[in-house]
Amino acid sequence: MDIIIIDGLSFALPLFIMAIGGIYCEKSGVTMLAIEGLQGVGAFIGALMAVLFAGNFAGNSPVPFYIAMIFATIGGSVFALLHALLCLKFKANQVISGVVVNIMAMALTAYLTKLLNRLIFGAASDKFVLAVSARITIPGLSKIPLMGAVFTNLYPFEIVIIIVAFLAWFVMYRTRFGMHLRACGDNPHAVDAAGRDVNKIRLAAIMICGALSGLGGICFAYSISANFSASIYVGYGYLAIAALIFGNWRILPTLGACLLFGFARSGGYRLVQVLQMPSSYQDLVMILPYVLTLLLLVFFSKQNGAPRALGEIYDKGAR
Amino acid sequence: MKKENKIFNAMKIPLFAILCSLVVGGIVIAVTGSNPFKAYYALLQGSGLAPKSSYANYKSILTDFFSYVNYFTPMIFAALAVAVALRAGLFNIGVSGQMLAAGFVATVVVGYSGLGAVVAKPLVILIGILIGGLAGAIIGFLKYKFNINEVVSSIMLNYIFQYVVSFLINTYYVDPVSRQSVEVSQAARLTLMDTLVGNLKIDIPLGIIAALLAVVLVWFLFEKTKLGYELKAVGYSRSAAKYAGIKVGKCMVLSMTISGMLAGLAGVTYYLGYVGSIQPKVLISTGFDAIAVSLLGSNNPFGIILSSMLITMISKGSTYMKSVAGVDAEIASVITGIILLFSACNAYIRWMAEKRKREKNRNAKEEK
Repeated sequence: MDIIIIDGLSFALPLFIMAIGGIYCEKSGVTMLAIEGLQGVGAFIGALMAVLFAGNFAGNSPVPFYIAMIFATIGGSVFALLHALLCLKFKANQVISGVVVNIMAMALTAYLTKLLNRLIFGAASDKFVLAVSARITIPGLSKIPLMGAVFTNLYPFEIVIIIVAFLAWFVMYRTRFGMHLRACGDNPHAVDAAGRDVNKIRLAAIMICGALSGLGGICFAYSISANFSASIYVGYGYLAIAALIFGNWRILPTLGACLLFGFARSGGYRLVQVLQMPSSYQDLVMILPYVLTLLLLVFFSKQNGAPRALGEIYDKGAR
Repeated sequence: MKKENKIFNAMKIPLFAILCSLVVGGIVIAVTGSNPFKAYYALLQGSGLAPKSSYANYKSILTDFFSYVNYFTPMIFAALAVAVALRAGLFNIGVSGQMLAAGFVATVVVGYSGLGAVVAKPLVILIGILIGGLAGAIIGFLKYKFNINEVVSSIMLNYIFQYVVSFLINTYYVDPVSRQSVEVSQAARLTLMDTLVGNLKIDIPLGIIAALLAVVLVWFLFEKTKLGYELKAVGYSRSAAKYAGIKVGKCMVLSMTISGMLAGLAGVTYYLGYVGSIQPKVLISTGFDAIAVSLLGSNNPFGIILSSMLITMISKGSTYMKSVAGVDAEIASVITGIILLFSACNAYIRWMAEKRKREKNRNAKEEK
């Protein structure tokens, strides 16, 4: 039971932070399908920096991980500019733009990983190997029966994510900027009439989304795979999108959806182990989050509260 | 406007996109220390469009060319699948998954059955259409009935197909040596492998005939039938189509079904044509590249023939390019990505061109 909670949390929280990024972007009225690519680029930049700087620190030092986190957020938000450029400047279809960003991200990171490995490290490899992040157990709290597992064997990033998520909630619902951002998604003309630049706010939202996605990506790279390679693109970004739709574009219900995915996944894995089924049955377990997503969407998509101006290109002159 | 002029105008923007991306790709190749012209020429050589310096026994430029045709046949189907959905305003990003589902069912039902070629080959095609259409219809139905974004649902289905097929292959149909599914019988194969023609061994893809037929059929559907007109109307504006009395829901389900059928055909021509087995846990990139192909071909069936030849040439030739020019094969997908990037902007480029034309006209009028 404890293992299910521990593994479930370490999967759900990176997913959650990516979904918050998606909420920011979509609340501002820009359709965001590029989370998958953004998290990959973030993980790529973060992993590259971690590998570059790792030599300067002791083997078990956590510093490279924090460096990686910072650069992952920067990398993600810079790459998100591509989506902003296509959507805001070139007025491209936002769905197509999202897919373009994803395909570009996969192609570029795969190419660059190989190239940089050869040029910098002189090795023919298609991945950056990372250390597995250390885990911490909070004394005292971890002794609480049942709930204690929540505070056991935590990755440090889980705490970072919770802090960032709280900040994101605060900015979205308790600040002037957050209000303008939400207004951009529902009635951009009103924002314009109030004297704010719709495109500037949307640009900010897209970059925040890139930063949060990048953060989520590097957390996955450090926990699940312990390296950066093309295997980072297994659909976490799309899962985050499903979570935010299921969470009705609100932050707290989205957390619920992410936890559900996380526990479904870790529970399934545990089941395979406990029942001692052959390892190929893991493939069947892997479909659980996806099937769950589809089923939940069937029940919850009908009355969804998508931002009203979502996906529409803002045209000042239109009525 | 003259006809040639019209065709040229339609091709202007895609050509511009290709040119830009080749230049960008060339700069990247040059910066990493290889000769871009040599690299691009190697792409042509690798796909049998230019002679290589030497050939093995039973091989010549023709062998390479037929292998290339064999490779781009599924791409034509896949790109048509994307185009049909896009014309109706839907985005089918699940082509790869639909290909896998159709290919797998056809492999299991016909590929391992021992049926004669005369029965097996048409049956493979039929199953491809059926399974692909079914998978597409599910997505269309979910969109129509439950308002589920088709991008999300098709991606979810992609993963579900990928893992279920991988599980079934690993449990029942795995070839212990290759770690792939057991190869299908020659009778079920849509490509006649290693056929001796003169002194050459050539793979003859039968699917290309079906692919060209599909191109004409899709063109006919959109230009000459009522259904095609309705689909296009839904694509331009859902609300306008609704007010005109078109059943929008029916159109969405239908377009996804047709799109799925074409994806299914892509699946059987790939898994039972180009390759003869399925690698577990891998979703091929054809379905995603098909988006680039379709956009580049402006969603026009005939444009798609040209653009799929180009995009598949880049990926097919990349292996040879790596061996000759020493450029990483991964650059191929980067170039494809850049082409996609420029084609996504084409609405803007077109808008800018029109604006400039309007201004020019206005200036001319003022001068008068």
